[in-house]
Amino acid sequence: MSADGSAVAWAAQVLGATKIYGSGEAAVRALDGVTVGFERGRFTAIMGPSGSGKSTLVQCAACLDRLTAGQVIIGDVDATGLDEKRLTRLRRDRIGFIFQQFNLLPTLTARENIAFPSDLAGRRPDQAWFDHVVDAVGLRDRLDHRPSELSGGQQQRVAVARALVERPDVIVADEPTGNLDSVSSNEILDFLSRATTEFGQSVVMVTHDPVAAARADRVVFLADGRIVDDVVAPTREQLLARMGTLAR
Amino acid sequence: MLHFTLRNLRAYAPRFLATALAVIVGIGFMAAGLMLTGAMKSALLGSVDRQYAAVDAAVLSFIEFEGLSPGVAPEALEIIERTPGVAAAAGELTAPVRVLGDDGESRTSRTVGRAWIEDPGLSPLEIIDGTAPGDGVVLDRRTAADLGVEIGESLTLATPIGRVTRPLVGLSEFDGADSIDDGGTVSFAPADALAVLATEARGWDAVLVRGEPDSPDLLSRLAGELDSAYRVITGETLRDERQAVTAGVVDVLRPVLNGFAWVALFVAGFVIANTFAIVVAQRRRELALVRAIGGTPGQVQRALLAEGLAVGVVASALGIVTGALVSTGVVVAVDRLGYRLPGAGLSVTPLLVIGCLLAGTIVTTLAVLAPAIRAGRTRPVEAMREGAVDRSGTSSVRAVIGGILLGLGIMVLLGVQVLDWPVWMLGPGALSLFGGVVVGGPLLARGFARLMQPVAQRAGLTARLAVDNTVRNPRRTATTANALVIGLFLVTVVTTSGEAFKTWATDQLDALSASDFIVASSGAPIADDVTSAIDEVPGVRRTAPVRTTLVVGNTAGEVPVSGADVEALRETTGLEVVAGSLDDVIAGSAAAVVDFSTLTLGGIGDSEGSANSGDPGAGSPFGEGAGVGDNVELVLPDGTVRTLPVAATLRARIDSLTLGVLVSTATLEDLVGPQPVNLVYVRTDADAADSVGVELDRIVRDFTGIEVVPGNVFGQIVGQVLDFLIAAVNALLGVSIIVALVGIVNTTTLSIHERRSELGVVRALGTTRGQVGRMVVGESVLVAVLGTALGVGCGVFVGWVLIGTLGDGAVPFTLNAVRVGSIIAAGVLVGVIASIFPARRAVRIDVLDAIRAV
Ligand SMILES: Nc1ncnc2c1ncn2[C@@H]1O[C@H](COP(=O)(O)OP(=O)(O)OP(=O)(O)O)[C@@H](O)[C@H]1O
Ligand SMILES: [Mg+2]
Repeated sequence: MSADGSAVAWAAQVLGATKIYGSGEAAVRALDGVTVGFERGRFTAIMGPSGSGKSTLVQCAACLDRLTAGQVIIGDVDATGLDEKRLTRLRRDRIGFIFQQFNLLPTLTARENIAFPSDLAGRRPDQAWFDHVVDAVGLRDRLDHRPSELSGGQQQRVAVARALVERPDVIVADEPTGNLDSVSSNEILDFLSRATTEFGQSVVMVTHDPVAAARADRVVFLADGRIVDDVVAPTREQLLARMGTLAR
Repeated sequence: MLHFTLRNLRAYAPRFLATALAVIVGIGFMAAGLMLTGAMKSALLGSVDRQYAAVDAAVLSFIEFEGLSPGVAPEALEIIERTPGVAAAAGELTAPVRVLGDDGESRTSRTVGRAWIEDPGLSPLEIIDGTAPGDGVVLDRRTAADLGVEIGESLTLATPIGRVTRPLVGLSEFDGADSIDDGGTVSFAPADALAVLATEARGWDAVLVRGEPDSPDLLSRLAGELDSAYRVITGETLRDERQAVTAGVVDVLRPVLNGFAWVALFVAGFVIANTFAIVVAQRRRELALVRAIGGTPGQVQRALLAEGLAVGVVASALGIVTGALVSTGVVVAVDRLGYRLPGAGLSVTPLLVIGCLLAGTIVTTLAVLAPAIRAGRTRPVEAMREGAVDRSGTSSVRAVIGGILLGLGIMVLLGVQVLDWPVWMLGPGALSLFGGVVVGGPLLARGFARLMQPVAQRAGLTARLAVDNTVRNPRRTATTANALVIGLFLVTVVTTSGEAFKTWATDQLDALSASDFIVASSGAPIADDVTSAIDEVPGVRRTAPVRTTLVVGNTAGEVPVSGADVEALRETTGLEVVAGSLDDVIAGSAAAVVDFSTLTLGGIGDSEGSANSGDPGAGSPFGEGAGVGDNVELVLPDGTVRTLPVAATLRARIDSLTLGVLVSTATLEDLVGPQPVNLVYVRTDADAADSVGVELDRIVRDFTGIEVVPGNVFGQIVGQVLDFLIAAVNALLGVSIIVALVGIVNTTTLSIHERRSELGVVRALGTTRGQVGRMVVGESVLVAVLGTALGVGCGVFVGWVLIGTLGDGAVPFTLNAVRVGSIIAAGVLVGVIASIFPARRAVRIDVLDAIRAV
């Protein structure tokens, strides 16, 4: 799938994924045989109508939830059969998260929030890299503040820093700019794309916003739990048009 | 992770305070009990050591039976004083004495009269003002100060021989303290003491001996000089024996208080588990986030356990401080009431502090274990979802296990009651019942709410919302209610079974006594003029003075032998002959003994009675051979053995039990010489009982140690003792109920906090403050009613089974509706009180704020 046709290095892969919520009458098929790979060092966006299964897909890809059927591979590790403890470690060491809201632990300062995954692993964060990331997101003078003392945009930047500081195989973001104004939104998108270009990170981002998705290297479209389109190097107009057809 | 825990402790301190309160109350109670009893015990032990510090040897009478002892004869003291190696010897003698006011009323209680010990080495008391007793008496400094009397003043004293007047000649202290005796000490000169505190029949309580230095064979020399009626012991042994007596009370008190503290802590465990679970539930998203970022279940659990541990340590420490404050308060309050607690201070030992810290911390940690483990299982995706209804606690596994335990408990208890299964199964049965209530609690709570729903429907919207809120989280409702269940269950068991037992026991005892009054002395004899004064009281039909003394039996230890006018005794007490005839007893040629096989307290004595029915004498202290036609053999003081034929056996009644071997007054005198009267049975004319009682009280007022008790006194005493026990146990269990109350306050407050935005919406839609307040009160009361219903229900059931096991069902189970009603009222009241604080909070929620916080 890569442009030059050579063997692709996958940051994360989802193979034949099916996710069914509930059972019997109330069963909802949120994912229906989805197979998709996310390339290393790329910025991938996921779009689709509300309820199409975007959140479900990234939650399962990030090993936050288990699939009903199918496989998830992070880097070179098959996460499918792992027990809870191994899965937790996999998340801690190889996956970073940014959610739409409630990203940070309210009792910890920004610095402590960023260092929390290393803390969980019982190691000190790499100080040089830590400083680099903090400077990149421009949080140097806000490190000792609690989340409640930060603006929404600043909170999201802390979340981005936390995701970056562990140098994970893949960073998963579910509508990270959903609650932000356009200026803050742009900043966050900048950080995410710089993470791929400058730091070589892999980012998967769910979004409703064609402007945001246009910053990505590739956009995957989801509808009714299936992949319906896959666009490389999209333009805003392309995306708007595609969204329009899906909404109908 | 440690700083995560510390940060959380700081951030959630107010919520943890609620958790801590339960531990503080429980540990506070435990610490207060230990501190007070510890201080009392060390004071009592220490004062015994100080009192007998210089004693090298002591001489006591061999015969000692239930406080009856002939003591050490004054002549024996002279022999001891002359024994080589003895540096000093003194008689010890104590008896109750009261200082009387000008109006003849007592101005002191529990004051002890003592023989002054002249040897300064042996005497525990020191004169700090004036002189040693001599012709007058010496008061301890505090009693003198309390009474406001000064040296030279004349004191009127009630003593065992009646009213006496002595000048106050000096003031004493005891090794820097006021007095040996908590109620104060009046010291008499030795000869005076023998005359006033004892009588010719009774000598010194003990003779204390100080040996010459280097006289190792002091003990054997003393034993050689004295006859075999005396026991010669070392000072060490004396101190041990006295300590065993004085500290015995504390040794009993301590485990009892501790037991109640553990019940309170057990209840606290439920409250902690619940509060902690709620605090954790409120942080579910946060914990899910930790899990999402890579925190393992173990890490989440350990972080929460560390929080619980920290709360436990801090709360236990606060509990110890609370305990110290409470016991200081108790000491002050008791002092205000005019009593002096021995020790009157606090004993705070490292062991106590460590013990209380450990107890509180362990209970807290155990209690947070379940919520912490459950929290570890939080799924990471929950970080991204809005809270949903918690249906936990209503699984079918829970229903099955709870149902089995409940059924098993009921079955076992019914088996004990109806099918006569062994009594020990009562404990496991009750435990299983309780386990069923705990495990099945959430389901019971849901069922209860279903039951209440139709009622609430009619009572209006607020009531309906209140009921709905209790089912929202059945486990939470159940655990809150369970804390109350434990306390009320125990209160109900104690009250119902105690009441039933009391009613039955007093009835039985009342039927056992026929005399209208008993004038009884504790040790000191009843003077002849008292006996004749009683005879002359208008309304007295007949009196029977009884002289009881201890005589060594030929086959079995000491036996009480009583001499009385048998005719008079028969008339005053309704003496009943089982076999034989009293004629020979009256004539003085034979004795009568009590047939113990007739001792039947309803069903309780029956089994023993039937086992012995073939041999009437087997139950008596004389062993076999004491039926009619057998002989009683007595060893007289001069060593000769006298044989008396048994002419009659008496039915065992309260009045006859104390008699032992009954002979005529003349026979007794013939056997052991003249003996003083120590009991007078009084029969009054019909309707004269009240006036006679008043007159009798007046006659004995000047005599300490003589008491007038009504004939049904045993029933009354047992009734009062049981009433006191029931009240005391319930008061102590009250601590557990306070802890449960704290639990309801916590749960309701936290759930209000949780539903802030929801309550905001409800208010925005037009609900009045009053309605919101009533809804919160309703919720709290519902939880209390659930707890009360379960606790009282199980309590009555177990009480019924418990009473059934006594005497094979001889004790009827009577339910005192008033008592049970007041327990139920108390339970509901707990709910109302518990709702005050949370309801105020709910009412004060600012509508806009609450909605914005969504
Ligand atoms: N916990 C759940 N239980 C039951 N059904 C669920 C659950 N989570 C999601 N669903 C259902 O699964 C489907 C996919 O949901 P999902 O959250 O993945 O959609 P989405 O594409 O992220 O939508 P949106 O753009 O609105 O966030 C929806 O129909 C939703 O109702
Ligand atoms: Mg979504």
